[in-house]
Amino acid sequence: MARLIRTEKEVEGRYEEVWVVVEEDALDQWPTGPLEVVGRPATRDDGLVRARGEAVYTADLKLNGMLHAAVLRSPHARARVTRIDLAPALDLPGVHTAIGPGDIDVLVDECNYQGAPIAAVCADTLAEAQTALEAIEIEYEVLEPLLDSDEAVARGSVLGDPRVRSRGDLDRGLADADVVVTGEFRTSVVLHNSMETHQSVVQWVNDGVDVHISTQFIWGVRQEVAGKLGLPADKVRVVCHFMGGGFGSKNGADDHTFVAAELARRTGRPVKCAFTRRDEHLAAGNRNATIQRLTVGAKSDGTLTALGGEYVNAVGWSGWSSPVDGPMHLLYACPNVRSTTSAAKLNQPPMKAFRAPGFVEGTFGLEALLDELAAKLDLDPLELRRRNHVDFDQQDDRPFSGKNLLECYRRAEPHWERRHDVRARSTDVVKRGVGMASQIWYGGGGPPSYAWVRVGSDGRATVVTAMQDIGTGTKTAMAQIAAEELGIPLEHVTVAAGDSARGPYASISAGSSTIPSMGPAVRAAAADAKRQIVEIAEQRGNADMPLAEVVALLEDAQILGKGARGPNPTGMQVLTFGVQVAEVAVDVETGEVWVERIAAIHDVGRVINPLGASSQIEGGIIQGIGHTLSEQRLHDPRTGAILTTSFDAYRMPTIADVPEIVSELVDVPDEQLTNLGSKGLGEPPIVPTAAAIANAIRDATGADVRQLPITREEMLRALHEAEERQRESERRGAKAPV
Amino acid sequence: MELRRPSSVAELEPAGNSLLLAGGTEVVPLLRAGILEAEELVDVRGIVPRGIDGRTIGAATTLAELEASAAVPDVLREACRLAASPQLRNAGTLAGNLLQSTRCWYWRLQWPCRLHGGDTCFARAGEHREHAVFANDFCASAHPSDVAAALLALDASVRTDRRELSLADLYRVPTQDDRRTTTLEPGELILSVDVPPCERSAYLKAMERKLWAFPLVGVAAVRSGGATRIALAGVAPVPWLLDERGLDAATPLPGNAYKLEIAAALVKRATAQIGA
Repeated sequence: MARLIRTEKEVEGRYEEVWVVVEEDALDQWPTGPLEVVGRPATRDDGLVRARGEAVYTADLKLNGMLHAAVLRSPHARARVTRIDLAPALDLPGVHTAIGPGDIDVLVDECNYQGAPIAAVCADTLAEAQTALEAIEIEYEVLEPLLDSDEAVARGSVLGDPRVRSRGDLDRGLADADVVVTGEFRTSVVLHNSMETHQSVVQWVNDGVDVHISTQFIWGVRQEVAGKLGLPADKVRVVCHFMGGGFGSKNGADDHTFVAAELARRTGRPVKCAFTRRDEHLAAGNRNATIQRLTVGAKSDGTLTALGGEYVNAVGWSGWSSPVDGPMHLLYACPNVRSTTSAAKLNQPPMKAFRAPGFVEGTFGLEALLDELAAKLDLDPLELRRRNHVDFDQQDDRPFSGKNLLECYRRAEPHWERRHDVRARSTDVVKRGVGMASQIWYGGGGPPSYAWVRVGSDGRATVVTAMQDIGTGTKTAMAQIAAEELGIPLEHVTVAAGDSARGPYASISAGSSTIPSMGPAVRAAAADAKRQIVEIAEQRGNADMPLAEVVALLEDAQILGKGARGPNPTGMQVLTFGVQVAEVAVDVETGEVWVERIAAIHDVGRVINPLGASSQIEGGIIQGIGHTLSEQRLHDPRTGAILTTSFDAYRMPTIADVPEIVSELVDVPDEQLTNLGSKGLGEPPIVPTAAAIANAIRDATGADVRQLPITREEMLRALHEAEERQRESERRGAKAPV
Repeated sequence: MELRRPSSVAELEPAGNSLLLAGGTEVVPLLRAGILEAEELVDVRGIVPRGIDGRTIGAATTLAELEASAAVPDVLREACRLAASPQLRNAGTLAGNLLQSTRCWYWRLQWPCRLHGGDTCFARAGEHREHAVFANDFCASAHPSDVAAALLALDASVRTDRRELSLADLYRVPTQDDRRTTTLEPGELILSVDVPPCERSAYLKAMERKLWAFPLVGVAAVRSGGATRIALAGVAPVPWLLDERGLDAATPLPGNAYKLEIAAALVKRATAQIGA
């Protein structure tokens, strides 16, 4: 029965209280371990279609009469448009219309970051539209940009009040400590760089609008577009069948969709508005830079007594303050914790969510500091973490729904033991070492989410739900769940998704939530279909009649099952856990760092598709290596203009940078969580990678790296600092009385 | 834009607004960025020799072909191998690589810098972590060619359709009066490169990832007739030959002194590799 409840909804560490109608989840969980289909590796249902280039992405879409839009973006970090004349653009060949500030609210004449959209033109071809942009006459008054985070906080240029989170008494905890370690850590702006750039094709149809968009959230776009265009939500159809990656940057409709919608309205034609690759480096969102001033206090046996953090999120002009303080409050047992997180508002492009936003950055600082503590106490880093293990959420004093971090540590042991051999392979010039870091993050998903399952007389089933597969293989996982519940082969299940007009509401694919949100709904729908099939069988006097025989009686009739995602467990914190062990080599003369091996052990409840899961782990680690070693968006320190707008300047890892990756999953269902016991795995693998690498560097060289990326310059600086420290301690040692 | 494919030097007739190209891996991106403009592209691959003949390398020989040839000294083969991804090495030619422009972000983004004829080097006061540490007081751009450093260390010479000159003389440090970084005249075409024999040679390259990036520092070392020549990529507005002062002649900026530390390590290693 449907029930209206007030519940806490979490997406990527942000909580809100919402009313939701939920249907109770009456199914018992399946037994632990691989079943017939679920828990066994399955290749993607659309792998061949993608590999052959037959899959139609938004970027491939060519609708009849479709026009192309180009967007004029601010070349300045801060400027006011003093004069703009669109008329010269309208005279050029192929141009249909142009819009500017005042025509729609996403086009601005107060530009507060480079890349802010000012005007747009649409033409028969993209080249014509781009040429027309250059004809727009525009003058700017260039203003002094605000670029420094600490200065912004000091001057009150912030988004909201600082977030203060506290338990116990930090000062008392520090007073109780035998050892206190402090450190300042910095992380840089990095980019999502999805293969498919941000884009939409919008077409007005009758009294509504069709929006084809590369998105992580079909239903969110529907709601946002309906609200902004003043349409009933059912008049907005949102379609995304194939999607070339988002990583958190495609959760909303975004400016380009409203540009396309307005141009389509004015011309009566479908309009495509696509980010160029260069736009993508400017205004598609990013992981924001952070400053983390951290303190840890501990007893000499390693027991934590205090954790303190002064954090600054360099948000850019808009966005939100990511939970960079999250790991400090959740990861370890500690009675006294206090953090203050400020969100600096700068004349830089706005941040967006990016694969475990905040936790990636916060884990780097916290876990690097913990290893500095371990070194100071002469404790094994893994042992230090075990001693501070916690089995409940201390912040809100509630249990975890399930936590197998100690099992992850146990499985990490053989990888951790390799450190003696790894170190022994060091030379005078190339030092090798091993480091580890723990992972904590969300990933429990939640209601509402719905699915239908249709079974025909041929014994084949179709899962119908208007969810998106953002390239993670979600559709395949859903097919596995339906096949398992119905007891039919995987090949007999089709998943129809990607279209808000053709299926029920489905979850956002962000916050590692698609499998834990959608999976239980799909299983419930399949179970509902199965129940009806069994009822028919009972009417035939044989409840055990094989499914194929029952449905063979249907002819054109169909069995329609319906399922909903049930509520999350009341009063419990649902989190994912894990540990990564990194092996690195450092050339101490040139500052070159490379990663030779990473072992990743994660606990995300039941694993639906081990093949998809290992791909997620590999992808997360590779992206994490980029953020740790080579990726960084740079801007001019005086003007704030972005300098890295192409892939020769912004360096993503190549295949040569990818180490051996060993992935393991605990694969025990979370008994408290839904009929599946599954959590998401999209984000967890990237969380501990930077910290594990930094800690391996310390193990190899004794140097404390304090910022990401660990460029050669940063590595050499840290090495020199370590040498200086060594010399200093030798000097002191020599002076000390014998 | 027209594409013309002449089959002899006589048919070249470059006009003021035509551009020569071979592999196109450098010219096409610069055209698309609007840094170069042309009404006509002249594909010179029908004119410029391709292939290796003794000490002479045709200027249209691709980096991939050089890299695979046992007749080519190690320093040049390795510089070609490390220059770019396989796709680019299959298309890019020797002369094209020598004539490539700096990766200075200010120049590539068309800031009105000195190299573009303006009166400011934005990198000197701005973001210059990857910029020049030698000859950088007028313009701090760094020359990105691994291949040029290798050929400079080899003391190679260049033959054009008009003259022969040493590789060192192909380049010039830009000045107030003349912002060019090469000495080629308009329309002048490199036909081949002559590489003197050497006993041993090596090329080492530091990048901000394992492969397929422009050099932070590239070091080419060549031993020939008892003499050692060392040339560097990525450290000056032109390929840089170390003189007797070596790295001590450097004038690093506040944000790029670390490049000298890398250079010192690589010079030591390259020198050891060639047994000098």
